[in-house]
Amino acid sequence: MLKRRVIPCLDIKNGRVVKGVHFANLRDTGDPVEAARAYDTQGADELCLLDITATTEGRDTFVDVVRRVAGQIFTPLTVGGGVRREADVRRLLGAGADKVAVNSAAVANPLLIRQLADRYGSQCIVVAVDVRQLKPLPGETDPLYEVVIHGGTRSTGLDAVSWCEQAASLGAGEILLTSMDKDGTRDGYDLAITREVSRRVPIPVIASGGVGSLEHLRQGLDPKEGAADAALAASIFHFGLYTIAQAKHYLADHGIPVRPHEAPRGVLITG
Amino acid sequence: MPREVILVDSQLGNLDSVEHALIQVGASVIVSSDPDRVATARMVVFPGQGSFGPTTRALVDGAMGAALRMVIERGDPFLGICLGMQLLFEQSDEGGGFDGLKVLPGRVRRFPADMRAGDEPDAARLKIPHMGWSDVQPTGEHFYFAHSYYVETTDPSLVMWWCRYGSVEFPATISRGNVFGCQFHPEKSQWSGLRFLRSFILGGRA
Repeated sequence: MLKRRVIPCLDIKNGRVVKGVHFANLRDTGDPVEAARAYDTQGADELCLLDITATTEGRDTFVDVVRRVAGQIFTPLTVGGGVRREADVRRLLGAGADKVAVNSAAVANPLLIRQLADRYGSQCIVVAVDVRQLKPLPGETDPLYEVVIHGGTRSTGLDAVSWCEQAASLGAGEILLTSMDKDGTRDGYDLAITREVSRRVPIPVIASGGVGSLEHLRQGLDPKEGAADAALAASIFHFGLYTIAQAKHYLADHGIPVRPHEAPRGVLITG
Repeated sequence: MPREVILVDSQLGNLDSVEHALIQVGASVIVSSDPDRVATARMVVFPGQGSFGPTTRALVDGAMGAALRMVIERGDPFLGICLGMQLLFEQSDEGGGFDGLKVLPGRVRRFPADMRAGDEPDAARLKIPHMGWSDVQPTGEHFYFAHSYYVETTDPSLVMWWCRYGSVEFPATISRGNVFGCQFHPEKSQWSGLRFLRSFILGGRA
């Protein structure tokens, strides 16, 4: 049986984890490699690195971070942020990423999704979609959501669900859905849009934006609430509020099928 | 002496993770895209991501395909990973039908689009690709899968471990003599995956 995934996400700026990372039993660190290793050992199902640097030098640094992290973990690595063109995808996959997320560039040119999926396989291509709820007009009952780009600073006028469906039909392997309304609030995911997208698209959906507690992870993954296939979170893990193992235990205790946490056993011969 | 493994580079995806994992479990890895080099290997790992298509056709029909068959027929340990396992079989439904290496009996099929997560009428549609961690039977261990196609074999005795997704039960690992294959990505399956690779490297078995 396929389990629901818990994915810690690290925001990277100029080669460092933004806001720092504070694990229990580990000194405070902004080093992405150390953070990635800790998450891998704790039993993260996957790891996500997002580049929030705006400069060209920052981009090169990020590729180097991806390379160093990929060399340390044995779980899937998804990377994104500032991916503009095919050459960026090639560079990141070449550095050891398993999946690359495209966001604004796919909105500007949807056929980029097909081009990337044809070349690298759908399983490598994640379409990251940032959404925002629109103020309902008089007479509207169901909330509408639009796609926003450039870190939520620009409207697109695209309907969120339609765009996700289009991305899937063009060959995306997964949707990383972030609510800009919820991001950073610690109020929990936007369950309405997460559920709607997850039910409408035939590919896996990763819920993102707003997690402040383990209960929020459960809500995102519950088939009757967020219905997501994977739950992404940043700050609850960074600040040592919870470990991945605690998250897994909580989810399992509340009926969400997850991969049990397994403590490392002596398997490494070298390194 | 570490076991020397030829890691086959056939333009079917990134090899770094597989190489890194093999080194972790004690192998001495040589990456090669040269059919002559592969043909003389004493142990081969053949990874692949993506799908059957023009690239796999060129491989199957070309010198690399011949080299891989030679290693297998000679009896040297061989491990196909993901697409590398699927290519051991006869044919894929993908893209109107592409041939595999035809070493083992079976076809590669796409998961049906209409599988549901339960019996209730409103049960959610299962997503494709089958992506994430699933348990295999009979061991109950979890491995990382990322695939839209699976092997349907006419010979169940090939199958070591099974995995189920929706209504489909498919081989997670297969073996016949010196030939092994896994549908999951051992290099992405943490300790379970490293143990699997270590068994292959140490024993020429999985």
